[in-house]
Amino acid sequence: MAEGWSARLQRIPWPVRLLLVLALLAGFLVAVKLMESSVKLVGADTAKKLFEGVASPFAGLAVGILATVLVQSSSVTTAIIVGLVGSGQLSVESAVPMVMGANIGTSITNTLVSIGHITRSAEFRRAFAGATMHDFFNLLTVIVLLPVEIFTGALHHAAAALAGMLDIGGVDYDSPVKAFIGTLAKGIQDVITGPFGLERWGAAIAMIVAALILIMISLTWITRIMRSLVADRMENALNDVLGKSGLLGMLVGILITVSVQSSSITTSLLVPLIGAGIITLEVAFPITLGANIGTTITALLAVLATDKTGPALTIALVHLLFNVTGIAIFYPVPALRKIPLDMARRLAALATRNRMWIVIYLFTFFIALPLLGILLFK
Amino acid sequence: METPRMFRWLRRLDPEHSGLARMKRHFGEMLEEGRHIFDAASNAFLGGVDPSVVEEDLFATDKNINRLERQIRREIVIHGSVHGSTELPQCLVMMSIAKDAERIGDYCKNLYDLAAIRTKSKDDAYFKDLVDLKNQISHLMAEARGLYMSQDEPQARDFMRRAGALQRHCDAKVDELLAAEPATKQPAATVLCYRYFKRVVAHTLNIVTSIVMPVDKLDFLDEDPETRDSEE
Repeated sequence: MAEGWSARLQRIPWPVRLLLVLALLAGFLVAVKLMESSVKLVGADTAKKLFEGVASPFAGLAVGILATVLVQSSSVTTAIIVGLVGSGQLSVESAVPMVMGANIGTSITNTLVSIGHITRSAEFRRAFAGATMHDFFNLLTVIVLLPVEIFTGALHHAAAALAGMLDIGGVDYDSPVKAFIGTLAKGIQDVITGPFGLERWGAAIAMIVAALILIMISLTWITRIMRSLVADRMENALNDVLGKSGLLGMLVGILITVSVQSSSITTSLLVPLIGAGIITLEVAFPITLGANIGTTITALLAVLATDKTGPALTIALVHLLFNVTGIAIFYPVPALRKIPLDMARRLAALATRNRMWIVIYLFTFFIALPLLGILLFK
Repeated sequence: METPRMFRWLRRLDPEHSGLARMKRHFGEMLEEGRHIFDAASNAFLGGVDPSVVEEDLFATDKNINRLERQIRREIVIHGSVHGSTELPQCLVMMSIAKDAERIGDYCKNLYDLAAIRTKSKDDAYFKDLVDLKNQISHLMAEARGLYMSQDEPQARDFMRRAGALQRHCDAKVDELLAAEPATKQPAATVLCYRYFKRVVAHTLNIVTSIVMPVDKLDFLDEDPETRDSEE
């Protein structure tokens, strides 16, 4: 039970919790490294064939949405994508739509949270609109940026240029962190291939499973512990942001999300506040957008564990640029800013009148359409 | 050992900055404003000041009390969203006593309305008693704020005993005025004044009661054997 963990974590001295976070962060990086190594183990050709199925951008987008809906965390999906790109088995071009899909998929969590308000119509209408404005913003950004990316590659070219500039600063070098993470990952790989005697496919599958479990466990616990460490800060920030300017809200969204490593935590925190009428959609919107930027930190961290830092950094920066560009398009002009909010309000009004709309929306948007996308475009 | 500055943001280094402490500060402000509005309204009623002089201040104070209550409610929702149910009982207590503090403002406005229509006379048989009562209640309100901040249980029990005695005094005066031949001009206004004083004491008492009683028993002081005994 979340409250049970929360209370127990509060009793642990904060320096111990901080050390636990660092240990979990190391675990997360080891998992990304393990993922990368497992793909290499099956051989470049085999791995490339596996990913040929998602060469179509629409299939990639659909995979990104479905994978994130399944694991309920875009951080997990993007970390895996960064690991795969870092291993050289997934191209940056193919990974871009997946990252966009991960952005859409993550918004299901707060939509599910908003259903908790269903017994009070007015509250539910506000909460559901507050949750789905995130979905609509992400969807609109994909509608605008995916075609641009398909035809021009603007996002990944810009990210590559940015990664190149950072590379001058020495990103692509054998840092002590990378060496330490590599040693730990090699240790786990040796255990899998040594005492258990697994070879090639068996070892690769075992390593992928171990990596996935480690990524999920480490990110879940980093989020929980960081939340216990910064809860009061989060509370004060939310209190302070009420009625303040949008940019401050965005900053609060970024800081909370970077601290807890989860945009879902930030956006789900907002849902009951919007439902209760404590904050309006207009105030919550920039906080949500800030969460979209903040969540890109996980992919950037995952880069630390990869071999091919250049492409891995590029895809991590694509995630960041995608969100920043989306904000630059939809936030500054009030008429455009209103679009996702109005769409969310309309859907919420429909869902309040007839609850079937909730099921239709969730099933169509997060399951049926992505599945159809994979079937049609693979 | 001094915590490095860069790590201070990570933890509850200073409980004064927690969400509950923030609510407590706002609640303390409500109590201060409550005492201020009580003094203003009862001075207007008892003739210490001209009602028109305090009118603006009195209504502004009431507005501020209402604003603070709404602020506390918002803070409770935010606190609950961030912390889950860990501190739910404290939040529910805060919700309840903030309502008590807000009701004090309402009764003081009622008292002020009476002041505007009442003919004042210091020769009134009840004047001295009401002035004395007003001073005691005002002192009690200041004490309630201190007790709430310190959460001192033995002092709270002593407070409850004294506040209960004041309530019974008000009831006795009301009964006396209702039963006997009027010994005062405008007896209805005097009865209402005692009634409002009693209600202000009752709401102040509820606030202090929260120090010693669980959330389910708040507002039901007279039905609780433990606290009923302590009044006797």
